[in-house]
Amino acid sequence: MGAGPLSRAKAQGVTQADVVITHEDVDRAHDRVRVSAARAQRGTFSKFRLLWLLVGPGILVMLGENDGPSMISYAATGARFGIGFFLPFVVLTFCMAIVVQEMTMRLGSATHRGHAELIFDRFGPFWGWFSMIDLGIGNFLTLITEFIAIRAGLGFFGVPPWAAVVSALVFLCLAIMTHRYWTWERTLLAIAVFNLIFVPVALLTHPNWHSVGSALITWKPLPGGLSQDTLIIVLADIGATVTPWMLFFQQSATVDKGLTRKDIHLGRIDTVVGAALAATAAVATIIATAPLFAHHMTAENFQGAEFAQALQPLIGRFGAALFALGIVEAGMVASVTISMSSAYAFGEVARRPHSLNLPVGQGKAFYSVLFLCAATAGAIVLIPGLPLVYVVLLVNVVAVLAMPPALVFLFMLANDREVMGDLVSPTWANILATCVVVFLTLAGVLFGVSVIAPNVFALLGGK
Amino acid sequence: MPSKDKGHSSITSTDQEMVLSSLEPEQLAGLKKHLIPRRHLIGPEKFVLWSLRIYLLFMIVVVIYQVWASLH
Repeated sequence: MGAGPLSRAKAQGVTQADVVITHEDVDRAHDRVRVSAARAQRGTFSKFRLLWLLVGPGILVMLGENDGPSMISYAATGARFGIGFFLPFVVLTFCMAIVVQEMTMRLGSATHRGHAELIFDRFGPFWGWFSMIDLGIGNFLTLITEFIAIRAGLGFFGVPPWAAVVSALVFLCLAIMTHRYWTWERTLLAIAVFNLIFVPVALLTHPNWHSVGSALITWKPLPGGLSQDTLIIVLADIGATVTPWMLFFQQSATVDKGLTRKDIHLGRIDTVVGAALAATAAVATIIATAPLFAHHMTAENFQGAEFAQALQPLIGRFGAALFALGIVEAGMVASVTISMSSAYAFGEVARRPHSLNLPVGQGKAFYSVLFLCAATAGAIVLIPGLPLVYVVLLVNVVAVLAMPPALVFLFMLANDREVMGDLVSPTWANILATCVVVFLTLAGVLFGVSVIAPNVFALLGGK
Repeated sequence: MPSKDKGHSSITSTDQEMVLSSLEPEQLAGLKKHLIPRRHLIGPEKFVLWSLRIYLLFMIVVVIYQVWASLH
């Protein structure tokens, strides 16, 4: 009985008495039995079934990152700069996200440990706490912006702010009360796909496809040239695609789902498919709000719903309602994934049970952190007079600034042969990851220079 | 036989067999309490980590200054 796993466990110095079987294990084992059955069969259908069983964390993290602030950043991008430089730039940022997120999926599959847990174990609590503080602050600020997006989006339909926040919290509770990772993942995937609602909105604006194609190839035009405003949008768009919570979420979700070394190839497909879907929605959002730029409408004070209201004369009530719904969906899904990221990290660091397969009684701390993070962020959004769009853009900027330190930990772990064995990053992946770290650091430095010495841009020929 | 936790009395022996035959040992929740050994950081690694930590703190100050400047 169970000779394989136990003998391997014994080889690691683990005795039978050490093995405590939990409900979490049983639920995960059920999922793995289905994966093994699909893998054992031949034929195209079985391959698709295997892919269907294994996709999830990659698509969820990418569509989850197309969250409220991200969609508002993309909308602000389209309204301020139209169709041009930012279309291919956003596609590039998703390519960076693939490079980074593939490493987290590989780490989770190889070690069966969450990101926070690995950082604490391998680098010690000193660096671990730095990492946790970055994650905790970043996640909380981002959660606030998710509720801003939900409030703004539902505001388009006349829903009062308090009701918007309460409905988001109810959605969060419904999403997690299945106490089963598989059910939670499939439910959230079905909702997350609604992120593509921005595609029909873009089509309703009757975009000039020649301009879209030309922009994707030439990276032009960039109205206004290089300026501090442009840099803030550049950083906000990067922050809309690669952020610390994604590293922690995908690795923890990969572990909770139970992916193993055998699944890494399909895990990569999961990540790439997620990035492709998310990039499509992001590009569609820029295209959808580009008419605001063409009609010289200012986007200075737009919130999620106000973008929808501004678009209404151009695409009609139906199109505007779709846009507002898209903002709500983005905020709702991300409020779940980001709260999950915080709760997973807390459980890993505090050595408390942390899995969506846990019944509430056995995962009180995990579920409490999850809910309290969201509830506190929701309450803050109800404070009147917050400069919402500015907060949203700044949160994305802060996310970019926090990425290089987080990426270095990821880079070191993915190249740690004691942890990864033969799954350490290949040279090409290290080169790409190094490029991403350097790019993000330079973007942050450039932003710093633009704030401290804005005249430098005039010398460089910008504004 | 592997043991069951107090809160897991409804887990049957069939469940246990399925768990042990379908999960890798490192996937078992109970075995995750075992720490992965600490890694000794070498000089260049410490330098990079400290540099990025200082970079982050400095940039946060820049962001706070930018918020302050835009509010005034």
